Amino acid sequence: MKAIYSFASLLLLSFTTLMSSSLYAANQAGLDAEIEELKSEVVELNRELFDLEEKLLYPATTSFAVFVSMDEVEDFIVRSVKLNLDQQDVTSHLYSKEQVDALRRGGIQKIFSSNLKPGVHKLTAEILGVDRDGRAMKRVVVADFGKARSSKYLEVKIRNNPNQSKPDFAIVEWK
Amino acid sequence: MFWFWIKTWILVLAVSSVSYAEDLLPDERRAKKQDALYGQALFSLHSGEYDKALSLNSAIRKRGNRGYGKVLDIQAATAQLGLGMSRSATKQFQSLISDKRISFLPAKARAQAWFYLAKHFYTKGMWVTALKGIRKVDAVSLNPDLKDEYHFLAATLELFKGNSKNADTHIVSINKDSKWAAYAFLNLAVNYTEKDIHISKVEAVFNQALLLSKNTKTPEALADKIHLMAGQFFFATGRGRSAISHLKSVGLDSAYTPKALLTYGWALTEQWQYHDALQPWYMLKTAHSQLNQDVQETLIAIPHLLEKLNAKVMALGAFDYATEQYDEVYKKLGQSAARLNTGKFIEPLLSQQIPDKWGAFTPIDLSLPDHPDKVYLKDVMSRGQFQGELKSLRDLHVMRYKLNEAIDHLDAFKLTAETRKKEYQDVKSERLVITHSQHLAKLKKRYKALNARIKKAFKNPAGHGLASDTEKDQMALFVDVTKSIKSLSASRNIKSEHYEKRLRRVGGVLKWNLSERYSDRKKQVSKSLALLQREIKRTTDQLDAAKFAYQVAPKTYKGFDKRIAKLKTKYQKELKKLELVYHKQRERVGGIVKADIKTRQERVMDYQLQARLAAARLFDETSNKVRSVATGEVRQ
Repeated sequence: MKAIYSFASLLLLSFTTLMSSSLYAANQAGLDAEIEELKSEVVELNRELFDLEEKLLYPATTSFAVFVSMDEVEDFIVRSVKLNLDQQDVTSHLYSKEQVDALRRGGIQKIFSSNLKPGVHKLTAEILGVDRDGRAMKRVVVADFGKARSSKYLEVKIRNNPNQSKPDFAIVEWK
Repeated sequence: MFWFWIKTWILVLAVSSVSYAEDLLPDERRAKKQDALYGQALFSLHSGEYDKALSLNSAIRKRGNRGYGKVLDIQAATAQLGLGMSRSATKQFQSLISDKRISFLPAKARAQAWFYLAKHFYTKGMWVTALKGIRKVDAVSLNPDLKDEYHFLAATLELFKGNSKNADTHIVSINKDSKWAAYAFLNLAVNYTEKDIHISKVEAVFNQALLLSKNTKTPEALADKIHLMAGQFFFATGRGRSAISHLKSVGLDSAYTPKALLTYGWALTEQWQYHDALQPWYMLKTAHSQLNQDVQETLIAIPHLLEKLNAKVMALGAFDYATEQYDEVYKKLGQSAARLNTGKFIEPLLSQQIPDKWGAFTPIDLSLPDHPDKVYLKDVMSRGQFQGELKSLRDLHVMRYKLNEAIDHLDAFKLTAETRKKEYQDVKSERLVITHSQHLAKLKKRYKALNARIKKAFKNPAGHGLASDTEKDQMALFVDVTKSIKSLSASRNIKSEHYEKRLRRVGGVLKWNLSERYSDRKKQVSKSLALLQREIKRTTDQLDAAKFAYQVAPKTYKGFDKRIAKLKTKYQKELKKLELVYHKQRERVGGIVKADIKTRQERVMDYQLQARLAAARLFDETSNKVRSVATGEVRQ
């Protein structure tokens, strides 16, 4: 009788332990799921904020943005880009290794966005980098452009030049 | 114990491989050259800004896919993996790759999707599932840059399953110049240590891993790791000399130094080189914190060694010292646990994290300068414990920062919209367009009138148009006088030459004055006209600007106030929700740390008990000796 009693209590104890440990595991999994859900909600909210920001701060009639893009240029690593708009330095950016890689893989960086009044403007981009041998390179590209009462996008392009070992730099207007 | 460490090392290796995983996606360049949204999403994704990449990805979908097909799904899944949203990522990947149609997903993308899914399970420790995934990777279609990593993963997982032949095939396929070759050989060596494989073969594999370690990003660290693992293995299998040669090669300023010094001491002890064994242990004791568990083991190992050297009084002193140290360590661990409850342990660690950096691939900054828990924390984290939990807590902390930042932005947006509204109302109330129009009309009228007057004034180049009233009278008088002189000379026969001469002289002076004034006045009038023209231009511009502001102003604030308020409510709700989850996760991390501290305290207590017992025994032995000597003297 005593043996049966002790066996039953042992069984109950092990069942309770098993239950509590499985409950703990379920709680942990539930918390992980909550965190993941939160992350996805925050990302969605950020999208809404991004959308609002674009529309409120940069209305279509005055919006102006400059992008940077780079082809799979092997003999040039961009280190920094500095922009000057109408004789005023407006922004500069230092590139990390990952960002250079991201540009090489087709990414476009929105380096500057602002509002610009209609008229004729001048954009100067100063590009610093190193060539394949590690020598520093500096290129300055200038573009005079007109802005009407609609959005204007410019792209600072670094692309391959098949005829030379050095890349081409240009500012291109988006249609 | 030894096998526990071996398994821990495998885990550490598994985790360390994640930090080198930079390549995450098939190379899908922009299909459309000037798609800013897609280009930005791609840039964010490849540069590791996964939250931004996901937001942009969602924006592209909302705008309309525009022929990007399944690439957007793969990118979303990759960004989710990067943010540590493993469930959603797994679901996404599985739905992508379960469809066998090539048109649905190209072979290249499919191979990479399987690869990343397997890698994800591997890093999560779900190795059986990872093996299933890696076996589905079509190596031919896989990006050449990922092939070595693929073979490494496959080899490791096959070894785990015990399929040595399959593992060998994969290891042979790894390029010898790749960093993955060193890791694969190390894993193979670890696998050999678990099996009954001849010691020379194990040593050969360890040596091969050492040789290849130079191709990795941190060759010294990996070489130290390999030496330590090899040393521990040879020590555990009774090959003291081989163990010593490997352990001696571990650098003195490496993360593996304490464990290497401790094992080195034990290996020398096993070779009966007690004097030599003291040196690494003293070095370990003096150069590292007492919170380090290897130092704690050394504290009790040194007196045992002294006892073996028959330096019993010194051993007794060392045991007493160890007891004091254990008391101190116990107390410090207790203080750490107390700091955990008062928010002085985890919170300072979180507050020093970079606010923008989060997700599964962003390591936690564990430096914690000038903090009493820095040694403990480094020790815990170096063993890969609760990394996932702490990362989740860090992510929640960063998300909280981001939500608060977004609420601040929304407040700023509200202010912008209000300012614009005010500007518009000002524009409307000031009747700027009407005022400027009226002003412009007046100016134009004035300009016209002035122009007519100028034309008239400058009609005669002799400058008659510029004569003053007195001068005009004088000129009229000249005409009258000339007439009078002529009539007088005709009627009275007077010689008028003298009078005419004088009259011409006076008239000449007057004409000279007028012609001089003509050029001066012309200059002045030109200047005045230019000024007036400028004024007209300025007013025209003002009118244009006022018209533009009038047209644009309503669009730039209308409807935004409601949108901003709605979004702010959403953010505030999310923040509340996050606080709840944060506290739960904080409890979880706290619980793990507390349990760890408790285990460490128990271990310290165990060491202390051993030290006290040994000290008592030694004291007893030395006292008995004195007593027996004393008895002898009595006998004499």
